[in-house]
Amino acid sequence: MMSTYYAGLLADIGILLIGTLSVYVILATGQLSLGNAGFMGIGSYIASFLTVEWHWPLTVALVISALAASMIGIIVGFPALRLKGIYLAIATLGFGEMVRSFFLNFDRMGGSSGYHGMQHISLAYIWLWAAGIFLIVTILERSQLWLELRAVHDDETAAGLVGLNTTHIKVGAFGFGAAIAAIAGGLFAHHYVYIEPGNFGFERSIDFVLAVILGGSTVGAGAVVGAGLLILLPEWLRFLADWRLAAFGVLLILVLLLRRQGILDRPLLAKLTFRSGAW
Amino acid sequence: MVQGRRLFLSGLVTAALVSSAQFAYAQNTITIGAIVPSSGPFAEWGRANTVTLDMLEKQINDGGGINGAKLKLVILDDAAKPAQAANDLRKLAGDDKVLAVAGPLTSGACEVTFPVANQMKVVSTSQASSKPGVAKANRPWAFRNTVDEGILAKTSVPYFKKAFNVKSVAIIYDAKDAVSTAIATKIMPTIFTENGIKVSNGDSPISFNTGDLDVSAQVTKLKSLNPDGVVIGADYSQAVTVLREMKRQGLMKPVIGGTPLISSAILQAAPEIPVVAPATFYATMKTPKAEKFVSELQPLLRKTSGLPKDIEPSMYDANIYEIVSMYIDAIKKADITGKPADLEADRTKIRDYMANLKGYEGFSGPVHFGADGDAVKNFFIVQGQNGSWGTKVTGCSASGGGC
Repeated sequence: MMSTYYAGLLADIGILLIGTLSVYVILATGQLSLGNAGFMGIGSYIASFLTVEWHWPLTVALVISALAASMIGIIVGFPALRLKGIYLAIATLGFGEMVRSFFLNFDRMGGSSGYHGMQHISLAYIWLWAAGIFLIVTILERSQLWLELRAVHDDETAAGLVGLNTTHIKVGAFGFGAAIAAIAGGLFAHHYVYIEPGNFGFERSIDFVLAVILGGSTVGAGAVVGAGLLILLPEWLRFLADWRLAAFGVLLILVLLLRRQGILDRPLLAKLTFRSGAW
Repeated sequence: MVQGRRLFLSGLVTAALVSSAQFAYAQNTITIGAIVPSSGPFAEWGRANTVTLDMLEKQINDGGGINGAKLKLVILDDAAKPAQAANDLRKLAGDDKVLAVAGPLTSGACEVTFPVANQMKVVSTSQASSKPGVAKANRPWAFRNTVDEGILAKTSVPYFKKAFNVKSVAIIYDAKDAVSTAIATKIMPTIFTENGIKVSNGDSPISFNTGDLDVSAQVTKLKSLNPDGVVIGADYSQAVTVLREMKRQGLMKPVIGGTPLISSAILQAAPEIPVVAPATFYATMKTPKAEKFVSELQPLLRKTSGLPKDIEPSMYDANIYEIVSMYIDAIKKADITGKPADLEADRTKIRDYMANLKGYEGFSGPVHFGADGDAVKNFFIVQGQNGSWGTKVTGCSASGGGC
């Protein structure tokens, strides 16, 4: 039987995996979002409000929070269309900080004192969502829509010239990513049964991006590897005591030096799954 | 003859049983867990806590252990991250089979760890959390060896008013930190109003964020309000930035805050500015128990790499020392075996011991826990000026008065 400790870590991996996929989907169009913790926060607060104050079932609350975050993601996505690269990253970072500051001053949901009252959820429930979202992203990766996303990523001008609606694709990716991040937030709130604005700061957005880059930013399965390593490595390095986080940093640099594309890429995934690389 | 042989045999069996029981007891290890932030924003507090616990473990084992059993402290770092603290507690309670846990340190970490302690039925006692109501919301397994900031402010504010003839105050606080925000925007303004002190910016207190290095604009605004005193809602590491800026801009007004202000670093930031804060322990306090503790711990802290060379034992070192000492006391007095088969019963006995504790002799005098899980103990309103803290008022956190 799995120890409660590993069950806790597995729950963290599940939630981080969902957050990582939220960045992965947006990154597929070439847009780097450093504000997904903001969407996670929105989902977390909306889902908690619905389950605690209105006693709605969690699954319904998660879907509603995902839809709400998605709408906000689309609204954020439109002005973001005018920005590229580092400028877009900074703008999304600003959005994330704006959301955190909003909840810090939003006394109706506890402000800086945080918000309680959620019911604890099982590990299986978290992984049901994680597996479901991973499956959707995997199916999406095999669709024509994904090719369109990648086309925008590779050359937005060329994609527009062949008739693709790059605006719809980029804003849609932002909306979908925001919805996924919101679900991660709702699950986080009901796993830890307490939320405060500090949970959804810049560091969490960086964790999502780091997991994508570490695991491999060209395949969805990379998110699983990235999320797993980001949670498990600091735990496995506990024997180093005060040096464990420094060692964790060194290991990350080493991995990225050896595999710039991240641990998992298409050829490696093909080898691991005994498939031909051409897919 | 047969009777004599029987007697001899039964004697042998008894001797064998007694010696095997003694052997088993000697082999027994009592395991207690601790969660401290050895990395992250409160690493100094966490590392000092680790040194304190290592010292206590050595003291106990050098003195013959606990009822002959060896004490083993399993100390885990949570980096002041709530999620890591919750996982630490799961590891300590589930994998390491500890009898009880000291920590976590921050209120944010307690908020997510205390529910896990209740779920796993293991006592968790925080050494620093003072955000109102955190243990109360997680009874019966959560305790805090700290006093609610709301209770402390009821004594510190009247002293502040009298000592500096304060008629108006202005507030500056770290908006990113829950305890600081609670102290500055909720607890203090109410008590100032009750004491007839005007809060110049009660509707719009001046804020900054954890990690801000430049607070010049905020302090300029603070100065423009021309208050008689300044409320700083922040932990010491952030408050030193405000104090230095106050000194630079010539705002030499007395300062009041909560327990997170207590540190030697505060005294060095602007020695000319008087700082009033509550504490249940400070390194220069004059009680035999505290003086012995400081004389033993301070050299160890100062030779630990990663800690400042002029560091003094903090209130949180004293608190965590008390917590583990209480657990050890419980093990000695409450018939706790430390055997794997008795783990659940042993943990319940420790919980009951903590809940029914009476007159435990702590650093500030007798300690017990209230129904809300918070410590009832003596506290001091101390004033820091010109490099040292001095007690100005002594109080007790019991609702009736006496401890």
